[in-house]
Amino acid sequence: MSEDREALEEGEAVLSLEGVGFDYPKLPVIDGLDLKVAKHELVVCVGPSGCGKSTLLSLLGGHLAPTRGTVRRKGHSRTIYQDGGLFPWLTARENIAGGLPRDTAPETRNKKIAEWLEITRLGEFANSYPHQLSGGMRQRVELARALAAETDILLLDEPFSALDYQSRTRMRRELVATLAERPRTVVFVTHDIEEAVQIADRVLVLASRPTHVRRILELPPGRSRTPASPGAAEAEQAIMDELGLS
Amino acid sequence: MKRFLYPAVTGLVILGIWWIASAAGAFPIGTVPSPPEVATAYGEEIASGRLIADVIASLYRVAWGFTAGVLAAVPLGLVVGRSLATRQALLPWINFFRSLSPIAWIPFAIVWFGVGDPPAIFILFVAVFFQITLATSAAVATVPKIYYRVAEDMGLSDSDQLFKITLPAIMPQLVTALRVAIGVAWMVVVAAEMIAVRSGLGFLIVDARNGLRMDLVVCGMITIGTIGIGLDVLFARLTKIPSVRWGFDR
Repeated sequence: MSEDREALEEGEAVLSLEGVGFDYPKLPVIDGLDLKVAKHELVVCVGPSGCGKSTLLSLLGGHLAPTRGTVRRKGHSRTIYQDGGLFPWLTARENIAGGLPRDTAPETRNKKIAEWLEITRLGEFANSYPHQLSGGMRQRVELARALAAETDILLLDEPFSALDYQSRTRMRRELVATLAERPRTVVFVTHDIEEAVQIADRVLVLASRPTHVRRILELPPGRSRTPASPGAAEAEQAIMDELGLS
Repeated sequence: MKRFLYPAVTGLVILGIWWIASAAGAFPIGTVPSPPEVATAYGEEIASGRLIADVIASLYRVAWGFTAGVLAAVPLGLVVGRSLATRQALLPWINFFRSLSPIAWIPFAIVWFGVGDPPAIFILFVAVFFQITLATSAAVATVPKIYYRVAEDMGLSDSDQLFKITLPAIMPQLVTALRVAIGVAWMVVVAAEMIAVRSGLGFLIVDARNGLRMDLVVCGMITIGTIGIGLDVLFARLTKIPSVRWGFDR
């Protein structure tokens, strides 16, 4: 990671935003946002509700064009949504298959689907439809579909916020473990400060609309922090101070 | 079991009341036939083959009118649902024509297509077309944007998005609309056959009325109602298709 960060200093960002602004009619959402994300870095964005975190991901994913400034993306991205991103007319297996690169050979396709079903412990639910799965299982399918795509960049829009505490914690661990095996560049949006501090390499604290970066916190190495981990409590406090929650 | 028992008991109660009222002379002569008279008429119509021929004639017209209406309406509904400009231009007019009773088209149908099957099929087409166009466009307009964003991430082309996202996403609503439309088509064919043709269950009823054969009128009504239920059951089975079921289980 440190080499990647050094590369970032030299301008080799996988994702970069320079002076980005985005307005809806009569509503400036983002203004003067600068961000560079290094290869395989996990950047978490936190900010007040409605500050434009999801809009930021849409800009990074290329689903929205900035009103001002430049967005650069080296490679393809996949976005994982809070809920409802799965196609309800496809089974878990078919949803994951849909995530695979389109030129995947049939035998490789079946192997990869089986592999992702195993990784996400969904083997016995492979032929279930999303509405037949629990919230946690649906999120695992979303995760598997996005990771199976083998894109360079993952954008996660509050992916675990609809889950209960236990499922959220488990999913977070699964994500970190999967990224350790198959590194990707990740931008993760959340409103959960504890979650941000537990998994991030860097935390971006965003200001209220129009959104800009209020502060960037560098965290010590390691993505499975607990509240007792070195620097975690201080980082949480710093974020809360920035958000005016102290 | 109760699913079949309750309606059967209700039917028997209605039949009993009808039978007793007829036997008691509650209806003026020639206005309401008794159940035995209707049963006899049924026997005659089946034995002569006329009832089967009329049923086939009506189903034939419904099959053509319904299929043509759906095949024309779904593509138009997809375009109207996806394109704001098209929606603004066409939706008020689709609503305008949908509000017109299909029966109002009978004079035009006869002038344009003469007599026989074509005018009846045209009227059925009209009955189905505007309804399904509106239902399809409404369904398309409510497909969550998130599906298209995922599809863009997957690199799906516009045509892939149409067949792999839009169509499957609207299927539950479309199936419901088809179920309603087949019921409307079945009602309309009877009305159309009363005017434009000389066969079918609608013609059977109007011909029986002209001959003061109220037993045959009831025979036609019972057949129409029974087939109507059959068509609804048939279309309701579409909701059991696994890739459509999600729209009904939530």
